[in-house]
Amino acid sequence: MHNPYESEQAKITFISRQTDSIKLFRFEFIQKVPGWKFTFKPGQFIELSIPGFGEAPFAPCNDSDAKYIELCVRNTGKLTNRIHNMKVGDKVNIRGPYGNGAWPLNKYDFKTQKNLFIVVGGLGLVPLRALILGKNEFLGKENKVQIFYGARDPDEMLFRHEYERWKKQNIQIELTIDKECAGWNKCVGFVPTLFDKHEILQNSIAFLCGPPVMYNSVLAKLKKLGFADDDIYLSLERRMHCGIGVCQHCTVGSYYTCKDGPVFSWAQIKDIPGAI
Amino acid sequence: MNQSQLDKFITYLKKNDWSVIGPVFTTEKIEELSPFLAAHQPANAKKTGQILIKHISRPSDLNLDGQLPFYSFKRFFVPEYETLFTYQKNKLTPKKHAPKVALVGMNILDLKAVNLYDQVFEKDPYYQSRRRNMLIVGYSLTPEINNNIFEEKFEEDILEHLPFDIFLAEIKPPGPPLRKGGENMAAAPPVKGGSWGFKVFTGSIKGQRILEHFSYKDYENIQFSGSVKEGATDERMERLRDRLKNHHNPKIWEELGKICIECGKCTLVCPTCFCFRIDDSPSLAADSGERTRCWDSCYYQEFSEVAGEHKFLNSTAQRLHFWYYHKFARIPDEFNFMGCVGCHRCAKVCPVGIDIFKVLKEIEAL
Repeated sequence: MHNPYESEQAKITFISRQTDSIKLFRFEFIQKVPGWKFTFKPGQFIELSIPGFGEAPFAPCNDSDAKYIELCVRNTGKLTNRIHNMKVGDKVNIRGPYGNGAWPLNKYDFKTQKNLFIVVGGLGLVPLRALILGKNEFLGKENKVQIFYGARDPDEMLFRHEYERWKKQNIQIELTIDKECAGWNKCVGFVPTLFDKHEILQNSIAFLCGPPVMYNSVLAKLKKLGFADDDIYLSLERRMHCGIGVCQHCTVGSYYTCKDGPVFSWAQIKDIPGAI
Repeated sequence: MNQSQLDKFITYLKKNDWSVIGPVFTTEKIEELSPFLAAHQPANAKKTGQILIKHISRPSDLNLDGQLPFYSFKRFFVPEYETLFTYQKNKLTPKKHAPKVALVGMNILDLKAVNLYDQVFEKDPYYQSRRRNMLIVGYSLTPEINNNIFEEKFEEDILEHLPFDIFLAEIKPPGPPLRKGGENMAAAPPVKGGSWGFKVFTGSIKGQRILEHFSYKDYENIQFSGSVKEGATDERMERLRDRLKNHHNPKIWEELGKICIECGKCTLVCPTCFCFRIDDSPSLAADSGERTRCWDSCYYQEFSEVAGEHKFLNSTAQRLHFWYYHKFARIPDEFNFMGCVGCHRCAKVCPVGIDIFKVLKEIEAL
């Protein structure tokens, strides 16, 4: 019988510092079975563990076509601290991917009809990067993507060296920081502030990912703009222990964030107390 | 089957390498059964004795008088602490260990919970290997429960919806004689505990084989036909689910939240509470240890905590609601039966007197 808790060994092949507390790690699987390839859909997550330090969920943020997985890890606990102290060549265990609810890329005709409006805060940009890097595959070359991204300060902006490359692919990215800061001449304020400063793309579907505090205010803005409940998608954060819909830690109403999500439409969860 | 045949059957099981477990009246302390459960035993019961589920060393240990054991049989299906993997440096090795266990004298309430475990852990190799090496001997005498939540009682037609290998249905004593002073009144019941013997059913090939090997042939086989009677709707379940899903009433939970101290005792004794967490526990030897799966409780604050210490269930009221929602909305959504067998154990152990019987009435009264 298949053991769902068993993981595959992967080794670190590349590390890049993003901010003071966030590093990007690239992992390659040490393949046991020839021909086996890890694949995932943007929006899904994996469980990474280091024996003795525990296991936790992370969302891959690389182009899903690549042979490796990239994870953006904030040093915030026992496991992530251990990962931060690792070097190229060190090994971890990865199982997954998990989640049936990835970003709904096939539900809409993004190539010719719909535009994509991404609203993210803090680490929320991480799982969306998988989609942004795969834009030409998932969306059309000509179709438009608009990103509203808020971070604490300019140094906390993730993937900031990549924005220029994104802009060349019909991706508009608008940034805001929480508080005034020397050398910053763009928007200041939380993410909803951007709604007052920039025209939102017509005919868009909204994808949201960020800290829980961001959702209510952004949803209010979106509703005001006339977005339908089932054209708004949110990625929910929960503590998944098992990843397979058993342990109950990640449940939201009768849904399992790990199994039925982590991406849900607003229509699915709006009536569930405590969902966001 | 009469008492002496049952005694012989237990001896037979032990001879055939079954570890026999069942309800026993004892003054033994729970910590002798499992240190994990130690802190949750009511102090008075330690002195006067109580029914615990434990190892049966002699057939006479088995107590079938119908009293509800303090704990359910849960830990034999979903242990309070189990090793999933042992690790050495970065290498995890899955643990394979499932001894032969015969659970004898399982009441129908605890048996109903097995329907839930079987569904929840359907794809869990650890559970399945335990289950393969298990013999379930059910027993019909329904425990007397104050405020019997679902008025559960034994009738032969529920057997096809219960998971068991062998089932002992108590034969009712003959009715009172028509005239006073009849002989029946004076006759002592032939089986210890007041029963007049057992009608024997089998619910699996395993059960039949074992009885045949024991040379007992007077049994009737019951074909399991799913945990829920087909076509039947459970009105109570529908009503509770509808109230919880469509008529959320924060008041109930806020009031209960004022008295609940989040001790988690109810989740320990509840046969249908199976939440767990996965942790790594290092051993003294360098770079080695175990990855374990251990009972958790949704009443504990860290249950919903994510990185950065944000908690999604951030009040006692929300955690109480979460517990009831799981049992009376989410489990019905998933499996079409309630996540409560009506044993009332949670109310018995609650230090502040929260009674599920009354809470359900409140939910329904909305």
